[in-house]
Amino acid sequence: MSNNLVEVTVTINGERRSATVEPRTLLIHFIRDYLGITGSHIGCDTSQCGNCSLLVNGRAAKSCTLLAVHVDGAEIITVEGIGKVDNLHPIQQGFWEEHGLQCGYCTPGAMMASIELLHQNPNPTDKEIREGLDGLICRCTGYEFIVNAVRRASEIMADQNSSKEEV
Amino acid sequence: MEINYAYKFKGLSSKELWDVIQDPDVLKEVLPGCKKFEKVGDEQYEAIMGINMGPIKGEFTADVEQVDKNEPESYRLLVKAKGKPGEINADAKMTFIGDDEGTELTCVAAIEVTGLMATIGQRMVGGVAKTILKRFMKDIEKEAKNA
Amino acid sequence: MEKLVGQRLKRKEDPKLITGNGTYVDDIKLQGMLHASVLRSPHPHAKIVSIDTTKAEDLEGVVKIYTGKDLEGKINPVPSSWLVPGANLIETKQYPLAIGTVRYVGDGVAFIVAKDRYIARDALNLIDVEYETLPSIANQKDARKEDAPQIFEEVKNNVAFTYIAGEVLDDDIEKEEVVVRESYNSQRVAPSPMETRNSLGYFNPGDGELKLYVGSQNPHIHRMVLSEVLDFPEHKLQVIVPDMGGGFGGKIGVYPDEALVAYATMDLETPVKWVEERNEHFQSANGGRDMMVDVELAGTKDGYMKALRVVNHANVGAYLATFGPGNPTIDFGLMMSGSYKIPKAQVTTYGMYTNTMSVDSYRGAGKPESTYMLERAVDEYARQIGMDPVEVRRKNFPDKDEFPFTNAQGLVYDSGDYQKPLDVALETADYEALRKEQAKLRKEGRYIGIGLASYVELSGFGPSAVAGAIGFQGGIWENSTVRVHPGGTVTVFTGTSPHGQGHDTTFTQIVADKLGIPYEDINFVFNDTKSVSMGWGTYGSRSLPVGGTAIAMACDKVIDKAMKVAVHLLEADADDVAFEKGIFYTKGNPENKKTFQEIAKAANFAWSMPEGIEPGLEEKMFYDPENFTYPFGTHLVVVEVDVETGEIEILRFIAVTDAGELINPLVVEGQVLGAIAQGVGQALWEEIQYNSKGQLLSGSFMDYTMPKARFFPKIEMKFTHTASPVNQLKAKGVAESGTTGSIASTVNAVIDALTPFDVSNIETPLTPERVWRAIQKGAKN
Repeated sequence: MSNNLVEVTVTINGERRSATVEPRTLLIHFIRDYLGITGSHIGCDTSQCGNCSLLVNGRAAKSCTLLAVHVDGAEIITVEGIGKVDNLHPIQQGFWEEHGLQCGYCTPGAMMASIELLHQNPNPTDKEIREGLDGLICRCTGYEFIVNAVRRASEIMADQNSSKEEV
Repeated sequence: MEINYAYKFKGLSSKELWDVIQDPDVLKEVLPGCKKFEKVGDEQYEAIMGINMGPIKGEFTADVEQVDKNEPESYRLLVKAKGKPGEINADAKMTFIGDDEGTELTCVAAIEVTGLMATIGQRMVGGVAKTILKRFMKDIEKEAKNA
Repeated sequence: MEKLVGQRLKRKEDPKLITGNGTYVDDIKLQGMLHASVLRSPHPHAKIVSIDTTKAEDLEGVVKIYTGKDLEGKINPVPSSWLVPGANLIETKQYPLAIGTVRYVGDGVAFIVAKDRYIARDALNLIDVEYETLPSIANQKDARKEDAPQIFEEVKNNVAFTYIAGEVLDDDIEKEEVVVRESYNSQRVAPSPMETRNSLGYFNPGDGELKLYVGSQNPHIHRMVLSEVLDFPEHKLQVIVPDMGGGFGGKIGVYPDEALVAYATMDLETPVKWVEERNEHFQSANGGRDMMVDVELAGTKDGYMKALRVVNHANVGAYLATFGPGNPTIDFGLMMSGSYKIPKAQVTTYGMYTNTMSVDSYRGAGKPESTYMLERAVDEYARQIGMDPVEVRRKNFPDKDEFPFTNAQGLVYDSGDYQKPLDVALETADYEALRKEQAKLRKEGRYIGIGLASYVELSGFGPSAVAGAIGFQGGIWENSTVRVHPGGTVTVFTGTSPHGQGHDTTFTQIVADKLGIPYEDINFVFNDTKSVSMGWGTYGSRSLPVGGTAIAMACDKVIDKAMKVAVHLLEADADDVAFEKGIFYTKGNPENKKTFQEIAKAANFAWSMPEGIEPGLEEKMFYDPENFTYPFGTHLVVVEVDVETGEIEILRFIAVTDAGELINPLVVEGQVLGAIAQGVGQALWEEIQYNSKGQLLSGSFMDYTMPKARFFPKIEMKFTHTASPVNQLKAKGVAESGTTGSIASTVNAVIDALTPFDVSNIETPLTPERVWRAIQKGAKN
C-alpha cells in the first residue's frame, strides 16, 4: 500500500498544509489524524449526522464521505478557523448564549452547517432553520436551543453588518 | 423477506424456457458477475458470483440446489451464498405458466441475509434482488432467442 | 455579590467546546499508538468451528490478532453489576471474545491490533471464520416457550431471572366493576450518543500502571469492574473520561471491548486505541427498553383505580449488561403505580435471554416504560367508564398533604403536588377550548388528538443500604472534596461524571453562593479515578440531588473550619462572628472582618491556627442520601393525524416539570428538551429491528430514524416548584423526566385522535404505516 501514496495539499483555516496519504483516506481522517486538527468529529460514517461538517471552498460539506484527494488544493475552514475564545464568531456566540450545545460533540459540525444556512438565508424563520438543519443529528438538545442559537447568530450578524454600514 | 417477481417471455413455450434455464452453460453466462457455475452433484451446483450494488458488494460463493422438479411447470431453487458482506439464504419457487403468447415465469422467493448486508443493506435487498432478477430474465430471453 | 443559584447563567464548559478545543478520546494521540478493530459475529447464534487468521497476520501493518481461545484463562468474563436478589437470577459468563459459541450479531470473535485504523479494518476481511449456525431467537415472549431455542444450556427456557413485587390476587381484579386488559410493548431503541464507544490504553511497564481513557458515565465503576475482569489492582488502574459525546445510559455499561483494549495495551506494552463505527455501535452497544408488558388495571365505574397487575417480559439480550437486570425489575416494578393511589399492585418480570445485544439503561431506565404502560391503561380505563382522562387522573392523585406518600410497592415519595402541573398544563393548553376545537375539526374530517401523561420519576439513588437490598453491586452515595488554595480560589473534586449536563456551571453556582467567592475562582475535577475519591458516576438523574448536595455539604464543612480560623484571627467569641457573602465579621463591629481569601491564606500558611485545628483548608464529604427524590409533572400533547396517510404532526407539546428548586433554569430546560426529543423519538420513529432469529436489520442512521429538528414544534415548558425535603438544595433530579412523560403523552394523543376509528392500541413507534393499518382495521369494525 505504501507504494501508492499521494500528496494532498489544502489551505486549512488560512494555513497551507500537506500530508502524504493513501488515496482512500477520508477527508475527516486526513484533517484529524494527519493534520492534527480535531475539532470536527465523526458521528455516523454514512453522511446522516453532519457532525463532521466543515466548509470546503466556502460551502458546507460532510467530510466523512469525501476523500482527501478530492479536495486537493481546496480551501477548508473548520471550527478552529471561525473564531477564538476572545473573538468568537456570531454562530459561536449564538450557541453559547442560547445553550445550543450540551456534550459539544455535534456542535462544530452543527455550527459549520449553520454558517452556510445563514449565508444562504441571513434572516431565517424558525421553520426555515429547522429545515435547514435537516442534515444534522444532535442527541442532546432536542434542537430547540440550536434553533434559538442560529436565530441569535443571525441577529448578531445583522447588527454587525448595520454597524459596519454606519462606519 | 419475500420477493415476488414475474416476467413474461413472449414467443417461448414452457418447455423451451425450461430447457434454457436448466442449462448450466447458459446460467454461467447470464448470472450477474458469474465466474463459476459447475455441476457438483445431481441437481447440485457450485457458483461464484460478484455483486456490486451499494453496500451489497463483494464476491459470493454459492451452493445451488434444485428440488421438487416438475418439468416444465415448476421447481424450487435453494441457494446458500456466502461472502464478506454476509450470507444469503434463498428458497425460490419458480413457476412456468404458458399461454398462446408465451410463458410467464414467476419467482416467489424467501430471502434471508446476514452480516453487514443485513444491518445496513436490508432496505436495499429487495430492490437489488429484483434488479438482478430482471437482468437475469432478460438475459435468459436473449439466450433463448439465440438458441 | 449576587446570588447565583436560580440564575440562567451561560455555561462555563462552552468556550472550549465551541472553539474546537474539546478533547474527546479519539482526539488523543499517544507515541507509538496502535489501532484496534473487532471482528464480530454475523450470526445470532453459532458454533465457531474454526478461525483462520493467517492471511490477516500476513497483512503488512497488522501487529497482533487475538481470538477467544488465545485469551482463555487470561481475562475474566465481564460481570453484571446489578444482581437483583430473590429472583433466581442466573448470570452466564460473557467472555470479552466469544469462546466456542457466538450468541448475538456483533459478539466479538477476534481482536485485531494494527499500525493504523485502515489496516485494522482491512484485516477484518482477511480472517476466515467457519461457523455452524444454531437455532436462534429474538423475541422474549417466544423465548420462554417450551420448544424455544436454548441460548445457554444452564438456563432453562432462557429465563435469566423472575422478579415479583407486590401481590394482587385474581379476586382483587375480578371483583372490580371495570377491568382494562391490554398489552403494551416498549420497543428496543438505541441510546445513540453521537460519539460512539471508544477507549485508549496506556501501560507503563516501568511502574506497572495502566491508564485507560474511555467513554464512560461512571469511571470508578469501570475501574472496579475492569480490575476484576483483568485481574489487575485498582490502585494501579487509572480510568479517565475526557470530554465525552453523550451517554444517555449507553455508556454506563462496562463492555468487553474496553477490557480487550486494556489487555492488548499491557500485552504489547504499547498504547492501543479502539473507536467503533456507527454500524458496530448498533450491533454491540447496549440497547434500551425492550419490554413486552401485559397490563390488568381494575377500578370502579366512578373512576377510582383499585388494583394493577402487570407481567413484563423483558429482553435482557444474550448477556446481562452492567445495570441490565435492575431496570425492568426495581426501576420498572417499584414505580409501576406511578403518581396514583392505587392500593394494590403486582409486577412480575421475566428477564429473558435472547440472541440479541444486551439491554441496559436508557434515559429514564424503567420509568418511561412503566409510565407509558400505566398512562396508556389509565386513558383506556377513562374511555371505558366514559370519563375525561383529566378527571380520572385528578381522582387518583395523592393529595399534596399526603406526602411523604408511600406507593403500592412501598416506595416513599419525598414530596409532591400532582394537581399543580396538571392544572398548569390544562391552563396553558386551554383544554376546554381544545376539546371543542377537536369536536369541530372532526366534523370537517380533520383528526386532532389531545394526549396527557402525569408521571413521577425516581431520581437520585440513595441510600446505599437500599442499593445493597436491591442487589446493586456498589454504593450510591457521592463524594466531594473542596480544596481551597492559598489565594482563595477553589478546586472541587467530585465523583459524578458530566458529559454535557452542565455540572461545571451548576455546581459552580452552588459553590459560589456557599463560599461567597467569584464564579471564575472555582473549577472542578471530574472523571479521573486517580484524582477523585471513590464516586459513582452520572445516571439516574443523580448528579445534582446526590453529587450537588455532597458539594454543598463539603462547602459547609469548609465554612465551619474557616469560621474557626476567622474567630481566632478576629480575636472574637465564636457566637459573635458571622459569615456572609465571603466575609467573616464580628456582629458588633462589621468592620472587624476577614475575607474568605484572607482566611484561605491564613489556613494554608498556618502561622497562627486555633488550638487543635489542622493546617490547610480542604474538606471532604461523603453524602449518602436518606431517600430518593421524586420529580413529577404532566405533559399535554396535541397532534394531528392524516388519516389518509397515517402521518402524525405534533401541533403543540406542553411540558410542565416539577424538580423542586432549580439551580440553573437554562440548563434544566436544556435537559427537559433533550429528554422530550428522546421520548417522542421512541413514540414515533425509533426502533432497533431484529428479525425473528436475531439478525439485526437496523445498523445505521439510514435504517434507524433519529429525531431531527424539523420533526418538532417549539416545546412549551413550564415549571412548578415543590421542594424536596431530602437535600439542602431542595432539588430533585431532572434529566430523565422529559423522556418519562413524553412517550405516553404522545401516544395518548394519537390514540385520542383516532377515537372515531375505534383504535385503542398501536405498537410504538407509531410509523405512518402502523397508524394507517390501525385506521383501516378500526374503520372496518
